[in-house]
Amino acid sequence: MHLKIRNILSFWDYRFLHERQIVSTSHRVLNAATLQPISRVQAVIGFSSSVSASTIIMNCEVCQLKELEVEHFQIHEVLSCILHTIVFHRALGLVRPKDVDLELFEITYVQCGDAEIEKKIREKIEEFISWVEKHPNKKSQICLSFYEVKSKQQSWFTNKTERLYWERWYVNLNVTQHPRAHSGKSHHSKVVVDPGESESEERSVRRAALEASIREVMFQIIKFANEKKDHVPSISEGIIHFPYEITFPRKLQ
Amino acid sequence: MASSHGNTHSEAAKMEQIITEFFAKSLHIILESRSPFVSSRNYSGEQTMSSPSSSSSSLSSVRSRDRWFNLALRESPAVLENLDLWRQSNPEPIMVDVILEQRPVDWNPLNFSPKRNLVRNLSSKERYPHCCNSDQEELGSEAKSEKIIERWIVQYETKKFRDSSSGGRRSSNNTLPTLYKKAILLLRSLYVTVRLLPAYKIFRDLNCSGQIHAFKLVPKVSSFVEPFTRKEEAEMQRFGFTPVDTSSGRLCLSVFYRSPLLDMSSGSSTPMSPQFIPDYVGSPLADPLKRFPSLPVSHGSPSSLPFSRRHSWSYENYKVSPSSLPFSPSPTHSESHALVSNPNSHHFPPFSLPPHPPETSLAHKKSRNFDEYCPSPTFSPSPSPSPPIYIPGNHQPKALLRSESAPVNIPGPKFATSPALSNRQNLPPSPPCKLTKPNTSTAENIVGPDQIAAKIDKLLSFGREDSRRTSGVKISSNSSPRISFSRSSSRSFQDDFDDTEFPCPFDVEDDDSMDPSSRPGSYDKKGLLSDPLEGGALFPVRKSQDAAVGDLVRMLKKAPPLHQDFSSTSSSASRPELWRNSIQEPDKISEAMTLTHAASPSIPSSRLKTTADALEELRGYKEMKNLLLAQGDKSYSSAGHTSKGESSSKA
Repeated sequence: MHLKIRNILSFWDYRFLHERQIVSTSHRVLNAATLQPISRVQAVIGFSSSVSASTIIMNCEVCQLKELEVEHFQIHEVLSCILHTIVFHRALGLVRPKDVDLELFEITYVQCGDAEIEKKIREKIEEFISWVEKHPNKKSQICLSFYEVKSKQQSWFTNKTERLYWERWYVNLNVTQHPRAHSGKSHHSKVVVDPGESESEERSVRRAALEASIREVMFQIIKFANEKKDHVPSISEGIIHFPYEITFPRKLQ
Repeated sequence: MASSHGNTHSEAAKMEQIITEFFAKSLHIILESRSPFVSSRNYSGEQTMSSPSSSSSSLSSVRSRDRWFNLALRESPAVLENLDLWRQSNPEPIMVDVILEQRPVDWNPLNFSPKRNLVRNLSSKERYPHCCNSDQEELGSEAKSEKIIERWIVQYETKKFRDSSSGGRRSSNNTLPTLYKKAILLLRSLYVTVRLLPAYKIFRDLNCSGQIHAFKLVPKVSSFVEPFTRKEEAEMQRFGFTPVDTSSGRLCLSVFYRSPLLDMSSGSSTPMSPQFIPDYVGSPLADPLKRFPSLPVSHGSPSSLPFSRRHSWSYENYKVSPSSLPFSPSPTHSESHALVSNPNSHHFPPFSLPPHPPETSLAHKKSRNFDEYCPSPTFSPSPSPSPPIYIPGNHQPKALLRSESAPVNIPGPKFATSPALSNRQNLPPSPPCKLTKPNTSTAENIVGPDQIAAKIDKLLSFGREDSRRTSGVKISSNSSPRISFSRSSSRSFQDDFDDTEFPCPFDVEDDDSMDPSSRPGSYDKKGLLSDPLEGGALFPVRKSQDAAVGDLVRMLKKAPPLHQDFSSTSSSASRPELWRNSIQEPDKISEAMTLTHAASPSIPSSRLKTTADALEELRGYKEMKNLLLAQGDKSYSSAGHTSKGESSSKA
């Protein structure tokens, strides 16, 4: 049964290969395996497979953010700041902005004030952190993609929904594992271990540099979000934000 | 707005409405985060509830205002007032100047100088030699200086005779939703940007902390402002948002802001005294270094026994020491330094013990206690173009931390790494730390005894190092600098004795412990430092620093005549040998001896009276040394024997 479905799906995959995102295709495959119809999904959380991006995207703006060198304990805050800022920029529904101060840096960013968004982003960050712990690669990339969901004609076994990505943001992180970062294991701890004076000096210098970089990235986001506005689809009633997904590739060199 | 018939007309009206509301919204956003006494953080829904209740007529407008551009903002009375004022006149364009005002405060003289210095720092930081500085200095405390730190410009540029016919017509159909959407995006960006700019931090500091500040952030809304002077413009950075095109023009939003972080409220809110302490305490370090450049090793180990006598020249040190230390300045340090550098500032009471908490706090400042130092800007070294004032202050607590408190045990990387070289290693940091010397103390007639004192200190310290090696007592690492400190104190003591300016606070303590003869006994115990030395060296452990210093000073004061007495005798030759063997610093010892010889005639005759005591002391020293040598390296053994022979011959 599953094999049959897979064959059919693979046929459909092939057919839609040139029209769809492969990612969305893979999602269909994944979901079809569980025989669950895919309704119109506002936001999908999931790992992206390591399918290469041989995608044909129409009008998709891509923004590669400047790489940030972060330590393990800083990942959560930095990512939270950046991802929320991006989502806030693209949340065209009614928002009650919420200012959030970073603990590690003197930066205030803005959240949409939506619990669902916060939860989703937080979960994604935690996933990423655990992934980073397992894969201590130096550089990693998180992709936040906004898409439009287009539902195609109903197929005979499942609804076909596809995503048209119209914007992708790539957050580039370089997670440095400093030898004295004892707190690196626990991604929730924000305690800075101060091993010594020279270490703390270095650390403060690094932190200051990172803070400046974060500000740069924030300004980068602002500029990009401002410059590229035409491709943003129209807002619809009742929806606070565009559907988006946060993914990160399994391996990135 | 009346939506009259006709698509174009209604559309134009709607567009007009959108544009007007855009102005209002942007003004709201800007004012919300720049108005004084407005905490835009935790207002949540309270203000929105109160504002409708306050005026019934504005109830609907409040709500509608809230929902415009899908951005529900917190509303405070001050902001609403400004908005209403604007709506009445509805001028365009909107120019918001965010001005930092320095309130004329009747500060007492103690606090006045810091304000002045702060302004100086501020102006130097911003490279803005504006009226602030001059006002402060000319008019004293009555000047109210203003500085524009931000300028927002919201305007609608009407394009004339541009694509008005075809393109505009076609695009006008979908212009309104598009326009609205783009306006929403722009306002989102504005909201985020407002919180990223440096002025936001000032706003937060001024509003969030409950302290009274000397500065006030005042946004001024107008539709016409004086353009910046060229100098001002050079100091401002511009950030322009992408304009939103409409059929008949475009909405432009831009901001000029000062990029360096402003250190506004740091001076007013943080208490000054704790900041001074490390600087003050650290100041004596400069003296030993400068005084005797020939003995770079022996002097100036950066211990930090605070001597109340040091007040006078410590300030002078600060005045003179624009040392370029590679430390990221912190505002608190800067304040303290600014204060200390003011020669008019007060004579501070002995800060011997209090330094510890501020030092530790300073040491841990890097963990960013925002609450504790609310006004403190970031640690980033970049924004402060006035390093001379900041850096020494920062470095001194470091030096202090290194040397002073055993519990803190800060002497980590710089200090206690290699006991044998502790003195030497300590010294290099401290010379750059304090490059100045007390100008008050005369150096000529004190060179001799001080050199001798230095020698003795080195002997003791090295002896201690030996013992440390064997016993592994870490305290001794702290002691050695302290010994040198006492040496420096003794030096200054002699200075002051000559000048009789300051009463020696150390005289009060423990005269008996100063007996040098007891010292060898202390060494007898375990090779560890016992009471007298501990009193002199390990002040956090046993006695107060003052007592310890006093002990050592007294001890050392008696020492100088030794050299003078023996300078003519052969023992003077043997002494350097003795020391040379034990300390293995022949060059410096010979130098010291040379200086001693040179300085011997200048030593007053009163010192000859203590010859007997000096001899006794010498014996004590020798015994001590022998003990240490016996416990120390075997390499010293031969030297010890030699020295023993010499000393016995001398005696």
